Amino acid sequence: MSNEGRMRATVNQKLTEMGERERLKELLRAKLTECGWKDQMKAHCKEVIKDKGLEHVTVEDLVAEITPIGRALVPDSVKKELFHRIKAFLAQHA
Amino acid sequence: MSPAGCPHVNGFKVDNWKQNLRVIYQCFVWTRKRKAKSCICHMCGAHLNRLHSCLSCVFFACFAKKHIHEHAKSKRHNLAIDLLYGGIYCFMCQDYIYDKDMEQIAKEEQRKAWKMQGMTPACCHSPCCVRVCVPGTGEKYSTWEPTKRELELLRHNPKRRRITSNCTIGLRGLINLGNTCFMNCIVQALTHTPLLRDFFLSDRHKCEMQSNSCLVCEMSQLFQEFYSGHRSPHIPFRLLHLVWTHARHLAGYEQQDAHEFLIAALDVLHRHCKDDNGKKANNPNHCNCIIDQIFTGGLQSDVTCQVCHGVSTTIDPFWDISLDLPGSSTPFWPLSPGGDGSALNGESHATGATTLTDCLRRFTRPEHLGSSAKIKCSGCHSYQESTKQLTMKKLPIVACFHVKRFEHSAKLRRKITTYVSFPLELDMTPFMASSKESRMNGQYQQAVDPFNNDNKYSLFAVVNHQGTLESGHYTTFIRQHKDQWFKCDDAIITKASIQDVLDSEGYLLFYHKQFLEYE
Repeated sequence: MSNEGRMRATVNQKLTEMGERERLKELLRAKLTECGWKDQMKAHCKEVIKDKGLEHVTVEDLVAEITPIGRALVPDSVKKELFHRIKAFLAQHA
Repeated sequence: MSPAGCPHVNGFKVDNWKQNLRVIYQCFVWTRKRKAKSCICHMCGAHLNRLHSCLSCVFFACFAKKHIHEHAKSKRHNLAIDLLYGGIYCFMCQDYIYDKDMEQIAKEEQRKAWKMQGMTPACCHSPCCVRVCVPGTGEKYSTWEPTKRELELLRHNPKRRRITSNCTIGLRGLINLGNTCFMNCIVQALTHTPLLRDFFLSDRHKCEMQSNSCLVCEMSQLFQEFYSGHRSPHIPFRLLHLVWTHARHLAGYEQQDAHEFLIAALDVLHRHCKDDNGKKANNPNHCNCIIDQIFTGGLQSDVTCQVCHGVSTTIDPFWDISLDLPGSSTPFWPLSPGGDGSALNGESHATGATTLTDCLRRFTRPEHLGSSAKIKCSGCHSYQESTKQLTMKKLPIVACFHVKRFEHSAKLRRKITTYVSFPLELDMTPFMASSKESRMNGQYQQAVDPFNNDNKYSLFAVVNHQGTLESGHYTTFIRQHKDQWFKCDDAIITKASIQDVLDSEGYLLFYHKQFLEYE
């Protein structure tokens, strides 16, 4: 594993152990719901299901289609806030 | 996934499979600590690429990098579980499958885990659902799923209403039964109070009154009528009868005061609601009925002794704020312009009109009580002159402002028609008890915190009175959707512009909190 990969793993482990990962996830969930991202994603999912047909669509189809859209639609403000939270956490617990 | 389900699970459901599955959920899915340490991919060591666990042997692997797929193929282990969300994947069907028995186990284990972690649902006033977890005891909020009975009802009643941006559902005229416009105007305001509407349309009232005279049940019926989609005006004779029964002072066919009706109606609803909660009616200050949750605020009254400067504070509940007007017998001291409040609420003094904020500032100003009204000071142990000041301690979700246009003093009875300009959006921060405290501590320039949304309100209903004290007529402007306003004149509903609303005289102004907090 590369150096970056190892660092990522360590950071993630720390976040998970101290419960911060859960808190950040909840915060992210709330922010994404508030700004309407969740509803946009739902709408996209419905479109994909309509396209592929309800009987034949798989979870993988949905994941493949909406992951790039989802990533692109996250507002910058949300990204910034999460980033700052993680930074602050690491500063405290590094 | 096809509706027939996955045929491959049956190979898994042998021996002690239920217990094994429970252990997997307990130890690797609905857990935190163990995840960090042992849940990594057995092939590449990563632990964030949609890690899955094989259901037939102890093997964790990434899904995103297809490591688990390789394992499934080589070992012919067809089933794996997603360690993040608990979904079961079948490599033969190539999709997540939803087996009833397995879902049941997953849910049970999840609930157990939440209980142990001490998650509690937030007390949610509004059915709009952002999940929030607070450490405590109990269960985490989970999304609604229909029960069998509800599915039955939905199937038997296939007609659906779609709410589009220009649909008029919820708008309905009310027949005037003889000077009953004072009641009609309030009914229009109440049926368009979003939280009250949500409460009644979700059938949250469980009536425990024996007789047929529960006003809350009647309100529930009224909401059903308003949102039924019928366009003909409704005849509220039952409501009128109940009001006469429970508020005798309003009985009769003469014109009554809409504000009095509002308070009487809230009072009766509050009393009848209390039977809901099984709470004793003894303590009126600790009721948790929907009326209290929506309309009750706390008004702080501070009496400061002029000699020792000791402050005696009381907090009283209120359902509305009655504001004096210039032109009444009681003097209205115009305050220096440019003070806090007006600028914040975007009202213009250009035309010299009195604004709602002017009235609120007057309401919350320190008032010298004078030598004829000395109060016994507990600090000085004697009667001293004092000043009294009112501020808002706790804001209600719906704030109702009553502009005192009807003067009933000993000398005269008249209506004051001075125009009061009121805003669409109101920030109550300058009138809060907490703001007053910072002012007293010398913080005169309060930086307006753009992220503090607690005190921001939006106008949603305006009741107007046309005419004189002896003969007049009440109408209501109500807001439907974000920016559409309608004028309700008994049986006649017409579209109105925002300007129409803001130009009207204003007698009762209803504001709704913009952002709801969760406890």
